[in-house]
Amino acid sequence: MDIFSGLMLGFATATTFSNFIYCFFGVLLGTAVGVLPGVGAIATISMLLPFTFGLPVDTALIMLAGIFYGTQYGGSTTAILMNLPGEASSVVTTLDGHEMAKQGRAGRALAAAAIGSFFAGTVGTLFIVIAAPLLASFALTFGPTEYFSLIVLGLVTSMVLTSGSLLTAFGMALFGMLLGMIGTDVNSGAARYTFGSPNLLDGLNFVVVATGIFGLGDVLANLETERTRSAGVAAVKGLFPSREDWKRMSGPIVRGTGLGVLLGVLPGAGLLLASFSSYALEKKLSRHPEEFGKGAIEGVAGPEAANNAAAQTSFIPMLTLGLPGTATMALMIGALIIQGVQPGPDILTQQPALFWGLVVSMWIGNLMLLILNLPLVGMWAKLISVPYRFLFPMICVFTTIGVYSINNSVFDVYMMALFGLLGYFFRKVGAEPAPLILALILGPMAEEYLRRTLMLSHGDASVFFTSPLSLGTLIVAAVLLLSIVSPRFRRVREEGLQEAD
Amino acid sequence: MKRREFMVLGGTAAVLASTGLARGDDWPSKTGVVISAYPAGGTSDIIARLVADELTAQYGQQFVVENHPGASGAIAGSRLARSAPDGYTIMVTGSAPLAANKVVQTNLAYDPEVDFAPITIVCESPALLSGSMSAPATTVQDLIAYAKANPGQVNIGNPGAGTKGHIAAAILGQMAGIEVNHIPYKGSAPLVADLLGGHIHFALDAPSNYVPHIQANAIRAIAVTTAARIPELPEVQTVAEQGIDGYEQTLWFGAVGPKDMPADIVNKLNATIKAWTETPAAQEKLASLGLTAVANTPEEMRAEMHREIESIRPLVEAGLVQAT
Repeated sequence: MDIFSGLMLGFATATTFSNFIYCFFGVLLGTAVGVLPGVGAIATISMLLPFTFGLPVDTALIMLAGIFYGTQYGGSTTAILMNLPGEASSVVTTLDGHEMAKQGRAGRALAAAAIGSFFAGTVGTLFIVIAAPLLASFALTFGPTEYFSLIVLGLVTSMVLTSGSLLTAFGMALFGMLLGMIGTDVNSGAARYTFGSPNLLDGLNFVVVATGIFGLGDVLANLETERTRSAGVAAVKGLFPSREDWKRMSGPIVRGTGLGVLLGVLPGAGLLLASFSSYALEKKLSRHPEEFGKGAIEGVAGPEAANNAAAQTSFIPMLTLGLPGTATMALMIGALIIQGVQPGPDILTQQPALFWGLVVSMWIGNLMLLILNLPLVGMWAKLISVPYRFLFPMICVFTTIGVYSINNSVFDVYMMALFGLLGYFFRKVGAEPAPLILALILGPMAEEYLRRTLMLSHGDASVFFTSPLSLGTLIVAAVLLLSIVSPRFRRVREEGLQEAD
Repeated sequence: MKRREFMVLGGTAAVLASTGLARGDDWPSKTGVVISAYPAGGTSDIIARLVADELTAQYGQQFVVENHPGASGAIAGSRLARSAPDGYTIMVTGSAPLAANKVVQTNLAYDPEVDFAPITIVCESPALLSGSMSAPATTVQDLIAYAKANPGQVNIGNPGAGTKGHIAAAILGQMAGIEVNHIPYKGSAPLVADLLGGHIHFALDAPSNYVPHIQANAIRAIAVTTAARIPELPEVQTVAEQGIDGYEQTLWFGAVGPKDMPADIVNKLNATIKAWTETPAAQEKLASLGLTAVANTPEEMRAEMHREIESIRPLVEAGLVQAT
C-alpha cells in the first residue's frame, strides 16, 4: 500500500464517529491527567487498559494514544502556571515557563508550549508516515541477534538517562529484570521463582506492576505531602504571542522538533531526554543565554516541541519492531496483544486500518489539543486546584477495578497493593522506577532473544559481533556506558538531570 | 464495557448462588459462564466466544465468557474442576489443559481424565511444516537426509514449548530417527517473521499465518501433519505421504464441563454445539481461522483426550519434551 492510499484509509478510519469521539475522549482525559500533578500517563493508561478490551482494536489504541500525547500538552500547563511538572517530561518547562508566568506572560508561555507541541506533533506524525513503512520493510533483516543488541541499547540508555544516582538506576534495572524472570521459562517450560503458586506461572502482569508503582505508589506519596502542597496558580492573560515572540520561538520549535523526532525513535531514551537536549541546545545557540531560567520563551517552545515530537515517534519502534522504548509503549503493546494484534513488521500489511488510522488520529488529536488547550486554558487552571482528597479515592477505585478485570484475579489486586507499597518506598529513597519498569519488559525479551540467538547459532556467541547491525548497536551502547565513566559527561548529566529534578 | 463487567459479575454471582443440581428439562434457567483458558483475542478464545454466543442465542440465557489465561490453560482447568457441575460453568479450549498438561505439568491441580466431563470436540486444525526460502531442504526426505549428514544442525521453530507444534516436531524427529533442535517462540507472529527473514530454517505450526506467505512465495510449505491434505494447500503432501508411515498430528479444540455434570445437560450441550458446527455460517467462520468444524460424541472426545495424553507420555519419558 502506498503512502497516499494509506493516508486515505487512515482518514476513513480515524474519522468514523466512534473513533473520532474516542480520540477526543482520549486527548481530553490526557490533558486532564497531564494537568493534575500526581496522576500520570502510565497510571491512567494502565487503569483504562482493561476497559478497552471491549472496543475494536483501532478505537482502543486511538484512545490510549490520545491519553499519552494529551498528557504532554496538559503537563506543560501545570508546569507554567504552578511551577509543578504535571508530567515528568515537562520538568524542563518549569524553568522558564513559570518565570514567564511570574512576569505576567503566562498566556504567551502557554501559547508557545501549545503551538510548539502542535507543530512537533504534525511533523512527528508525518515522520511516522514516512519512516515506519521503511523501517518495517527493513525489519525482516532484524533477527534475534539484532533484537537482543537493540534491547541492550534500550536498557543502557534508560539507565544512563535516569535522574539520581547511576548506581541506583542500575540497581533498579537489575531488580526489574529479576522480577521479569518470574514465571514460565520460554524454552524449557520450567517454572521459575513461582513458589509453587499457579498465579505466578505466567509471570508478573506488567499492568499490575505499573498500576501499583505509578498509581497507588504515587497516591501514597502524594498523601504525605498533600497538606504542604502550595497551590499558587498564576493568572492567565494575553494568549496571543507577539511578533517578537514568534521570531524568537520559531527556530527553537523547529530544532526541538528535529531533536525530538530522532530521540523518540531511540529505544529507552524517552521524552525527558528530548526536552532536556532541546533546552541545552537552545541555551547554547541563543544570543541571550543569560535570559534562560529567567523567562526565555525559547526555553519553553523548544523543549515542549521536542517532548511532543518524541511522544509521537516513540510509536515507531513499538509498532514496527514490537519493541517498546518506554513504559507507556509497553502498555500499548499490552493493549494490542490482548486484542490479538502482534505488533511487528507485519502490522502494516495485516492491520493497515489500525496503523494508518492511528497515525491520522494522532494528527487530528493534536489539532483538538491545540483548541482544547489554548482557548480553554482557564478551565484547566481551575482543575489544578481540585483538592487531592477528591482525586485519590477515585484513583484507588479505578486501579482496583481495572487490575481485577484484566484476568478476573484477586491475586492481581494483592500484587498491585504490594507494588504500591514498593512504589512508595522507591519514592521515599529517591529511586526512579522508570528503569525498573522498562527492564521488567525488556529483561525477559532480552533473555528470550539471547537464548534464541545462541540456540540458532549452536552456542556460538560471536554472531553478535559479525552481524553489522548488531555490532553497530552494541558499539553505541558501549560508548554510552563508557561516556558515563568520563568525568566530563558525568558532570553534564548530573547538571542536566538535576535541573530537571 | 461497563455492561460486560456487570454481566461477568452477575454471572459469577449467579453461579455462586446456585445450590443443588440443575435438572436437564429446566436448564438453563439463569446466566452461565464459558471459561476461556487463553487470553482474549487468540484462536482458542475466539472459539470460546463463538460457542458462548451460540448457547446464548439458542437457550435465551446469557452465556458469558470469562478469561482465565495462564500456565498453558492449567489455571482455567483447575477453576473448572472446582466449579459446581450444574451446567452453568463449562470450558472451551485448545487441547493443552485437557491432555498435554497431565503429563507435562508435574503439579497439575486436576486430572483432565477424571475431573472433567467431555462434551464434544468443536473443531480441529492441521499443523504445517514449512521452511524459509534459504532452508537446506524442501521435502521431508531432504530434511531427514540433511539432519543425518549434519547432526545437531536442524532447527525447527514452534509457537511455544509444549504446544502441538513442539510435540508434532518431537514426534517427527523420533519417528524419522533424527536429532532436532526445538526453538520455542512466543506465538506464531515472531516465528513467521524469523522464517521470512531467514533467521530460522524450519517451523512447525498451525497453517493459517503461513498460507498468505506461501502463496506469495516467501515461505515454502514442506508437509502437512494430518492424515489427508488440506484444502488451503492442496498441492502440499502430508508427512505420511513423504515416507513417515502412520504420522498424524492434529490440533483440536473442545468443550468440557466439571465431572458429574448430569448426562442430560451434557447431551443437550453436545446437540446444540454439534448442530451449530453443521451450519454453513459456523463452518465459514471457522474456516476463516484455518479450522475445520468437527463435532463428535462425549465418548469420542474422551477417547481423543486419552489418545493424546498417551502419545505425549513417551516423549516426556524420553526427555524430548521437558516436564515442568
